[in-house]
Amino acid sequence: MNKSTLWSLRLGFSGKQSKTIENLGLQKFLEKSYAAAYDKSIPELLNNSPKSLTELKSIRKKIKETNPDEVKALLKTELKVSQEMKAWWLQKMITDAFPLREKMVCFWHNHFVCTYQKVKVNYWIYQHNQVLREHAFGNFKTLTKEIIQTNAMVRYLDNVDNRREAINENLSRELLELFTLGIGNYTESDIKNGAKGLAGLNLGEEKAVYRRFLENNDTITYLGKTGNFKVEEMIDIIFEQKAIPYLLTRKILKWFIYDNPSEELVTYYGDYFRKVDFEIKPLLNKIFIEEFSKDNAGSKIKDPLVYILQLMNELHVEDLNPKLVVFFLKQQGMDLFNQPNVKGWNGGKEWLTSQIYLQRNNAADLLCNGKTIGRRMQFSENENITDFSKQLLKVNLNWTKSENNKSIIAELSDRLLFQTDDAMQKDWENILKYDFNPDDESTKNAVLRLFNHMVKTPEFQII
Amino acid sequence: MNRRNFLTLTGTFTGGTLLLPDFLHAFGTRSNLVIGEQCLVFIQLNGGNDGLNTFIPYDNPQYYELRSKIAISKEAVISKNKGMGFHPALKNFATMQQNGDLTILQNVGYPNPNRSHFRSQEIWQTASDTNQYLNEGWLGRYLDLQCKEHQPTAGINLDNIDNLALKGNEPNFITVKDPNRFKIRNTNEEGIQLSDNPQLDFVRKIANSVTEGSDDIQKALAKSTTETNYPKTNLGKNLEWIARLIKGNLNSKVYYTSQNGYDTHDNQITIHERNLTELNDAIYCFYSDLKKSQLLQNVTLVVFSEFGRRVKDNGNGTDHGTAAPMFIIGGNNKGKIIGNNPNLSDLDNGDLKHQIDFRSVYATLLKTKMNFDYTKIGILNPILSDIF
Repeated sequence: MNKSTLWSLRLGFSGKQSKTIENLGLQKFLEKSYAAAYDKSIPELLNNSPKSLTELKSIRKKIKETNPDEVKALLKTELKVSQEMKAWWLQKMITDAFPLREKMVCFWHNHFVCTYQKVKVNYWIYQHNQVLREHAFGNFKTLTKEIIQTNAMVRYLDNVDNRREAINENLSRELLELFTLGIGNYTESDIKNGAKGLAGLNLGEEKAVYRRFLENNDTITYLGKTGNFKVEEMIDIIFEQKAIPYLLTRKILKWFIYDNPSEELVTYYGDYFRKVDFEIKPLLNKIFIEEFSKDNAGSKIKDPLVYILQLMNELHVEDLNPKLVVFFLKQQGMDLFNQPNVKGWNGGKEWLTSQIYLQRNNAADLLCNGKTIGRRMQFSENENITDFSKQLLKVNLNWTKSENNKSIIAELSDRLLFQTDDAMQKDWENILKYDFNPDDESTKNAVLRLFNHMVKTPEFQII
Repeated sequence: MNRRNFLTLTGTFTGGTLLLPDFLHAFGTRSNLVIGEQCLVFIQLNGGNDGLNTFIPYDNPQYYELRSKIAISKEAVISKNKGMGFHPALKNFATMQQNGDLTILQNVGYPNPNRSHFRSQEIWQTASDTNQYLNEGWLGRYLDLQCKEHQPTAGINLDNIDNLALKGNEPNFITVKDPNRFKIRNTNEEGIQLSDNPQLDFVRKIANSVTEGSDDIQKALAKSTTETNYPKTNLGKNLEWIARLIKGNLNSKVYYTSQNGYDTHDNQITIHERNLTELNDAIYCFYSDLKKSQLLQNVTLVVFSEFGRRVKDNGNGTDHGTAAPMFIIGGNNKGKIIGNNPNLSDLDNGDLKHQIDFRSVYATLLKTKMNFDYTKIGILNPILSDIF
């Protein structure tokens, strides 16, 4: 696989940026990615959804008083909005000229997990997502402070139930275990005391705020320091700990490059992360530039997002309903805004089971045949997706016309597969034989069958 | 599509009235009965089999004139009859013919022949005209219409790559690379290393464990055994598996496999003999196996190649040609030789002119064996009345 395609897949979701990387060089490409403008406007799909806390309360009060059926209706509408929001995000990933920001948003989305399932307010989920977008390349410490104080997070991790004497440890625990230090770098009493510090941090109009009557103002000892700490001071203390950089650098290496990063690399980049004061941009830059020079293709199993967006990009599928893609992702175990639990998607080998592999191959067959994916899905829970099964898609694969079957095979495999072998080559030369006629109409279809074969190999599952 | 649906479907194809006799209805509702179900088995000889050295016009002096280096001597030709006989490697073809189970169709091809492997295979696989380009195979189109819903085991392709002939609107067939792995389920595979890359190793193991319809295949294999001793060749193994699936009542309508190596531009004598020996031995075992299981009447084996070879040799080999014989074994065929002996004096650019269009053979198979209206998949050639 050629390097610029490999890195286009790593730094985005498809091979779409491969030419840009080749032309600009990686460093330039990265700089443009950091600097690229991003959408700050609230999407229209949220127009009718409640936003401020006051608004939300008044709506809830009203429907409770009038008609219990309306409660159901509202939930249904909001579920639909949630579906649309997934499609909205997906659209950004597909269309951004420099998708690295969205790739990072998705990384953070899987780090600071908050699901619609539990939070149940689309606008808060959107706000949470937007904080990740704004801080995608910012500072890890600042981002942690911001994200803990979103309405979505205090609801998701039950801090709304963490009150003065009735302590709920959930947020305090995950702040240490999953968001920052990682298991083994704090004690149970840090969690208990941290929960006291967080008590009373509750839903606010735009973001979470401390409620005076719910706060717990005990003097606490937190990670060795004693005082009267609230959320910001607590996070400052966390970021003074020795272990702080490594959990995140390990996760970044896993997200972008290696399913199993070596501990040496984790320490190496982690130490640098501390040195640059947890600024994300220089960390990413160092990792990408240094790893680019290494021969490390084939270290990671593709997540469903990259799998399907790469296929769509290769085949230039433009009229596929994004909701079908959203649904495919769900079936593949990567439902956006809806991780199974606060740990997020584990990734690596957990992306693939026999069932999922089969489903990927089916999707590849369908797309190569110009069919929409997941034709049986409309029978399941989602009434919002109408029957697209008869819809035909325009598919169009790019390849350079040549007299030589081997050069077409090489061109395709070079941008699809991290490695090939003689047996595969033989199969391909059987699909596109040496005596094919490049001017025949049917050659286009034969090359498509060649492509179809390649994307069903185990090698295609890996980058 | 299960057996019941299939029978229901074939029944209603006769204009809505059910013309099936009662005993066939019984098969439709019983799950474990073998008799009555028909299936087609195809062996594609890749590379262009030299028809003239397979079924040989030993009585025609032109044959020896045009092929001074590679002709098979009259003495060596076996089972001589009306000027034609078999290559000595095909001794069991002679046996099957004597038993009345082998039909030979002579000079099978199509108008305006294309001499590219790639294109000619495509034409055979899609049953298209020379200047017509189809992206779905003839069997794929047939299965699309026969299967009410997506039915992964309606067609079984034993090969490394999918076969265009079976490609349809719905994936109603599966390609099985190595049926062997159905024997050892993945539980035994834990310790095996398939690659140096641990991620790739993991995915390969998954890939090995998944084939849609593998449960059905598993069941069919569990129900059958092999008592015949098949040769340990590729084709031998593939036919052994096909026989087991048929005996295990898998109920696939179409099985497809291929044999490579027929592109004999050079060193033809040796290579061709080796190929035909493999073909003969594998087919005869398959034939005997099915005969012993009393299934031969339900199974029609079809052997073909994308083209024959040039009448005149090029030294020690032959170049790409056109028409060639096609073989049909089993399925209650009439055991005849259909068509005239190859005419070596009326050639088209040095190649034989075809007499029977291969699509007529397809039409006959679909109509007679599958009770299917072949015009529905765009075949317009007339059926041949002498095969079955």
